[in-house]
Amino acid sequence: MIFDILIYPGILFILASAILYSGIMRKLAARMQNRIGPPIYQVFYDIAKLTGKQGIRPVQAKPGYTMFPAIALASALTAGLLVPIYSTIISFPGDYIVIIYFLLFSSAAMFLAGYASANNFAVVGAIRGIVLILAYELPFIIAVIVPMLAFSLNSIHIFDTWLIAYYPLAAISMFLSILAKVEIPPFHIPNAHQEIVGGYTAEFTGKRLALIELTTMVKTFVLILLMICLYLGGAQNIFVLAAKSLAVLLALTVARVLFARLRIEQALRFYWLFALVAAIDLLRVIWI
Amino acid sequence: MSKEDSYSIPLGPQHPALIEPEYLKVHLDGETIIDVDINIGFMHRGIEKALQQRTYMHDRFLIEKICGICSSIHTLSYCGAVEKLAVIEIPERAKYIRMIIAELERLHSHLLWVGIAGYEIGFDTVFQLAWRDREIVMNMLEKMSGNRVSYSMNTIGGVRRDISKDMAEELRKAMDKIDARLHHYIDVFVNDSTITRRTRGTGILTGKDARRYCAVGPTARGSGISCDIRKDNPYLKYSTIDFNQITHKTLDIESRAVVRLKELLESTKIIRQCLHMMPEGSLSVKVPEIIPEGEVIYHAEAPRGEIFYYVRSDGTDKPYRVKIRTPTLANILSLKPMLKGQQLADMPVIVASIDPCFSCTDRVTLLDTKTGKTKNVDETYLKSLKRR
Repeated sequence: MIFDILIYPGILFILASAILYSGIMRKLAARMQNRIGPPIYQVFYDIAKLTGKQGIRPVQAKPGYTMFPAIALASALTAGLLVPIYSTIISFPGDYIVIIYFLLFSSAAMFLAGYASANNFAVVGAIRGIVLILAYELPFIIAVIVPMLAFSLNSIHIFDTWLIAYYPLAAISMFLSILAKVEIPPFHIPNAHQEIVGGYTAEFTGKRLALIELTTMVKTFVLILLMICLYLGGAQNIFVLAAKSLAVLLALTVARVLFARLRIEQALRFYWLFALVAAIDLLRVIWI
Repeated sequence: MSKEDSYSIPLGPQHPALIEPEYLKVHLDGETIIDVDINIGFMHRGIEKALQQRTYMHDRFLIEKICGICSSIHTLSYCGAVEKLAVIEIPERAKYIRMIIAELERLHSHLLWVGIAGYEIGFDTVFQLAWRDREIVMNMLEKMSGNRVSYSMNTIGGVRRDISKDMAEELRKAMDKIDARLHHYIDVFVNDSTITRRTRGTGILTGKDARRYCAVGPTARGSGISCDIRKDNPYLKYSTIDFNQITHKTLDIESRAVVRLKELLESTKIIRQCLHMMPEGSLSVKVPEIIPEGEVIYHAEAPRGEIFYYVRSDGTDKPYRVKIRTPTLANILSLKPMLKGQQLADMPVIVASIDPCFSCTDRVTLLDTKTGKTKNVDETYLKSLKRR
């Protein structure tokens, strides 16, 4: 049990594969953009280097500046423990709501960290982030609860059938909210590098920046796992898991390469329209 | 909401969207831009003063360093001005070679801009691909002149290197390749919905405002104003060449992008005609070291708009005064009407849409903090500083 939680398929496995997947994504994106790109293991070096750097705390930083990045990573990892990979590590009634909650809180903690750093750029980024949460959270919740309601379950487990075939709209809305949750283009609005100098990450250095970077990576991996578990027929062994998760990663990378950044109000309109479309699947589940 | 009640964020002097140090103070209400204060002056290098202490021939090297991207148009204008002063006619072949280099420079400058525009709207793929295609032009320039950035092709009295027959053939092939890519980019900028979402209807500069703020080059042409020195006051051999002046009337960022891209199709046309019309002959004529007394102006169409040179000689081997006005100085004020009322998210791409080149732009204004009086550094002031 302890081994399951801490090492495999728990925290250590999730951290290592999250970093690895981030590296793979960078390499894939580079090849699609006609670049060579960094080696796949580069992200390990980046994180190791960041943890060794001195962390500078800005004078005007408010309480929570140090705490929130750690909370963000902890929430993302906890959500990861609740998502079943081959079998469930921890399971209890209503755990899918806890997953939604922890993933949301992980995002919120990052924006609060930005807000606590009291930098104008970071505050603008945090406000954008909160608006984006309002945008994507509705389609995401719909996407998570559709399979639950369809099978009248009260705790999450692996669905052997490919639910994407039965509820395609909900599956697509799940995929789209992954894009916004981990700020992949066209939804990298809260940390827009050109507009607001990295947004909520502007004042972070060293270990705290490493925590924030890790949170995004872990969230990406956990959301990919959740997508596989809910809609793509689950994974019975590590090879199936690798194949399916790399396929989702490839799709995410294609989106990353293919689009320009949207403005925040365009993103809001997009997600709320899409929430309406995804709600069709929800209504089908409830009434049919 | 008024300017005083709003909060402000700085764009620059160090900012990822602008490579060069310039400071735009942006007043915001939420995400809406209320007003913007434009401050220049972080990169003043005293080049105009330095030019007065070197001989005419030496100045050529310094002038090439004013701008990294449009280095050839600067020397073209400067050499043209000095030749006008010395009353020298340069060989026909040199004129055509100067034009070819100037148009190649326009090609690489605008392709660079296409990449920057993509980068500013968070579309890195456009950035990577446009810069890949720019390499075609850069390779041609390197093969011709030996340098990728400062070509050192123009000299007072002509040009320094020839374009051989093989080179001309290679250049024609490269132009065909560039043409194909340009048609693709025009299609992308007009039809791709992810780009037009950001560029259509943002950064409006009306024709009236463009005239009021004296915009030049593609910025003005994107507002439907026809102004192109190559047409209005042809220099070198532009009067004998058949090309169109591109204007576009949608007034937004897309308009400026389309003007730039279509202009490049005309540039490849000009290069092909130059290669065809170029006569055989010598490359340069000898110029005396002492330039006769007098003053002269010379203007040319740089990639970003009109470039203006004033050269005054007092009959020695050093210029008495060289005054340079680069296109960004003319264009930068038009940012104000473009930015007002826009979203913060659109600010980087609007600023980039004038294709700013700040290092060429900087001027010095002295401010007396006790009285609040400002004073521009002009000729009389510089004279008063001179050691007696």
